[in-house]
Amino acid sequence: MKAGRKIGTADVMKEKLLETPDKRRTDGVSQWSIAWRRFKKNKAALAGLIIVGAIIFIALFSPIIARYPLNYLASFKEENKIRVPPSSKYWFGTDYIGRDVFSQIVYGAGNVLYVGFGAAAIAMILSITIGITSGYLGGLVDNILMRVTEIFLVIPFLLILLVFLRVAMTIAPSGVGGLTTVTLMIGLFSWAPNARIIRGEVLRVKQNEYIEAAVALGASKWRIMFRHVLPNVLHVIIVLTTLQIATAILVEAGVSFLGFGDPNSVTWGQQLQMASEAVKEAWWEGIFPGLFITLLVLGFNLLGNGLRDALDPRLRE
Amino acid sequence: MAPREILKIENLTTYFYTWAGVVKAVDGISLDVREGETLGLVGESGSGKSVTALSILRIVPMPGRIIGGKIIYKGENLLEKTEDEMQQIRGKEIAYISQDPATSLNPVFSIADQLTEVIRRHQNVTKEEALKKAIELFRLVEIADPEIKIWNYPHQLSGGMKQRIAIARALSCQPNLLLADEPTTNLDVTIQAQILELMKNLKKLGMSMILITHDMGVVAGVADRINVMYAGRVCEVASTKTIFRNPVHPYSRALLEAVSHVTVKRVQPKIIPGAIPNLISPPSGCRFHPRCDFAAAECAAVVPQLVEIEPEHYVACIRAKEFMENVKEVKL
Amino acid sequence: MPIKTNVLQSILYKIKHMAKSSMAKYVLRRLLYLIPIFFGILIIVFVSTRMAGDPVKLMTGLNPRITAEARERLTQYYGLDQPLYYQFLKFVWEMLHGNLGNSYAIRGGTAVTTLVGDYAWETFKLQLTALFFSLLIAIPIGILSARKQYSKLDVTVTTTSLIGTCIPIFYMGIVAILIFSYSLGWFPYGAAHSLDPSRYPFGSYLLDELWHLFLPATVLTFAELAPVVLLVRSSMLEVLRQDYILAARASGLSERTVIYKHALRNALIPVVTYVGLYFGGMLAGAPITEKVFNWPGVGRLYVEAISKLDFPVITGITVFVTLMVLIANLVTDIAYAYIDPRIRIE
Repeated sequence: MKAGRKIGTADVMKEKLLETPDKRRTDGVSQWSIAWRRFKKNKAALAGLIIVGAIIFIALFSPIIARYPLNYLASFKEENKIRVPPSSKYWFGTDYIGRDVFSQIVYGAGNVLYVGFGAAAIAMILSITIGITSGYLGGLVDNILMRVTEIFLVIPFLLILLVFLRVAMTIAPSGVGGLTTVTLMIGLFSWAPNARIIRGEVLRVKQNEYIEAAVALGASKWRIMFRHVLPNVLHVIIVLTTLQIATAILVEAGVSFLGFGDPNSVTWGQQLQMASEAVKEAWWEGIFPGLFITLLVLGFNLLGNGLRDALDPRLRE
Repeated sequence: MAPREILKIENLTTYFYTWAGVVKAVDGISLDVREGETLGLVGESGSGKSVTALSILRIVPMPGRIIGGKIIYKGENLLEKTEDEMQQIRGKEIAYISQDPATSLNPVFSIADQLTEVIRRHQNVTKEEALKKAIELFRLVEIADPEIKIWNYPHQLSGGMKQRIAIARALSCQPNLLLADEPTTNLDVTIQAQILELMKNLKKLGMSMILITHDMGVVAGVADRINVMYAGRVCEVASTKTIFRNPVHPYSRALLEAVSHVTVKRVQPKIIPGAIPNLISPPSGCRFHPRCDFAAAECAAVVPQLVEIEPEHYVACIRAKEFMENVKEVKL
Repeated sequence: MPIKTNVLQSILYKIKHMAKSSMAKYVLRRLLYLIPIFFGILIIVFVSTRMAGDPVKLMTGLNPRITAEARERLTQYYGLDQPLYYQFLKFVWEMLHGNLGNSYAIRGGTAVTTLVGDYAWETFKLQLTALFFSLLIAIPIGILSARKQYSKLDVTVTTTSLIGTCIPIFYMGIVAILIFSYSLGWFPYGAAHSLDPSRYPFGSYLLDELWHLFLPATVLTFAELAPVVLLVRSSMLEVLRQDYILAARASGLSERTVIYKHALRNALIPVVTYVGLYFGGMLAGAPITEKVFNWPGVGRLYVEAISKLDFPVITGITVFVTLMVLIANLVTDIAYAYIDPRIRIE
């Protein structure tokens, strides 16, 4: 309260009234706990978190959750049958060489997440570096970086990706690090849209007074960029990362579906590819892996949208 | 002689149904506008002035809804009209000028397009006649080279120019009542003066006007009567002269003190402490009491009604009588 | 008014002024701007395919009977012994003369331009049909959803669209084929035509074509629909909050005029940008779509070329797709400038 004013009953009441939500919000409570409170209220976002959490759990404990060993030709070895329809023995049926579809999906979870997280990490490191450098330094650097970004924005990258993967397969038929190659390639070619968004965000932050103050205090450019600008675009980066994981998972599935995935690692896209040869005879072989791809992508998208709503400072009342 | 009312609002209530709760933006206000007069609707931002104007036109944006009251325009309740009938009234009978000239014109259409479309909506004229009228309107709001300027797009014009055009659009069908929502707030000081001058001249056209503003200085020269609003309710109604000479409600007084008194006395403009309350759960009783320097214990309990404390001077404050009697003493 | 108002003079001014407006200049500027991007992509494509490996080695590596001498002859024949920059310049030179080289594998060296020409039509037929219908359906749905924000309809539309954006196109395709081709038998599985004319419905070639097109086009339409609906909705919501919409309503304009003239024109600005980029993405994704539906387009040709390591075809199709993407970009730019005068008039 301001000093020098009469204290009466009304003032006491005023004190109390000022402690209504308005005040609580501005005092002490960190940005992150506010975001968490908002996030918790959003049912769709929580659903996304649960889906993603469940699939991470499956990936971490796959040997325990799976009902048969990896690549074990269950129905072929035990009953001399392939493509057995779903039953209590094989929840999602068995595939073209008699593997249990459910167990293969469980083993695939880790690989799918590896590509998703790995590719998103590479893409985000590139887009953050390029976006912040371009937006903060401006001028010639900005010009050159943005022209490069535009090239990557319109490049038909799936086509180039396929060539690289085919060649990698020919050179190293054993498929050494096939999954890593896929991850690396997706990461290297999908940073452009995010770099553009981050740059725009940096341009907005740059106009704020605290940045000018840091400049006036003689802080170095790099220090300002990573100590002052980066934390202020962090909320955008978090959201973009989540959505980028979803995109990477979709791309990997597409590449695997075309038969360009790593033949030595199980992924859901590959299961779907094998299944597509015989959808008519064994619908279960493809339906379930496809369902899991959709579910995981949906999970990351819901999570990303929820984070955006929770973190966007402009949405705060 | 009782002056004829062109608009009479009784107990208007408009709430916004948001996720966070019901925002009681306008909570049972009553006011009237007389023929040919300019009524100043004054209050801080968030006091429900704009929502009142939008309620009159029945264009309150989602999730707002008018939930009660009467809006009597020329003897008819606007709240009972159909949407089609309202469209005939908007722009033709009652026109509206919005706050921000920078955003009140559609950026993708030429000025000519936006003016003629309104003219042709309400008047049965050809395109050329509408264009002619539009050019004449440009003259009325004192824009040079109207024949050329009319083909411009909003981004090619200055803020003051845009506001003149917004005024021109509002005047295009000779409305009987003009609702001007902070017409000068977002303009440079010199342009503000010009627009105010223009508004003053418009009074000569004989139409009634509600001038919405948070700035007592703006209404001083233009308004005939003033209606002070706070947190969705009316605090005080009186002629401009009375409000400036003898404001009774503590909020009116605080608003007047917020206007610079430098010319009169060497005092710092006073800032009203605290912020406008959260209208989801507004303070009980008199909504101003948490910020009021003179609040008594019962102010938190009793909702004050508008009472005529002297002819043509209404105040909603339980201590109004007291203040009237010892104006000098309480006035610091 | 004492001053005479000259409407005619004003209209004449408008005509003169509009003629002066810099639309043509703008298009030219955008065109010049796209050329370096095209060459940038070309360099990346060219270098990355060549860096990927020696095609001769890749083609013959698994065949022990081919001698080193034969390999060298082959390398010389394809001009692969020349330095990379020379190969690139030669490629560009030939490309500017309308020659994208000859296939290594298909029918004894068919010209790539001929091949692309043969297959591109089927790709366009499918992609453009889907794009057209997805926009036709998505825009009204998006508008409706935005106008009735939080209504049951809106919640249904947004939920469905959100899930729709998460389903991979090939999965959607497989499920559709499973249901409509295999279970119900309504539509043929894959291919663009019946091989045997006796199977044409009512003996009509056109009906046969439409019958084959229906399922792939519908699936692709739905796949493209979802993101556009979400974009139109959010863009429309943003616009409906603007002051000029309130001002238009306050002027007594009909709801139709307010929504379809004032709001839509503004809401379409981000949609146009998105559709340009998105169409490029769909073209690049043609291999996937065309594999699911066994569709004889450039995407399938591309996958075949890769499996045979047919480098001229690979490069040729990439150049072709890039060119299409850039043309889509240019069309976007023009539409953008047409919609938004702020772009066209400085």
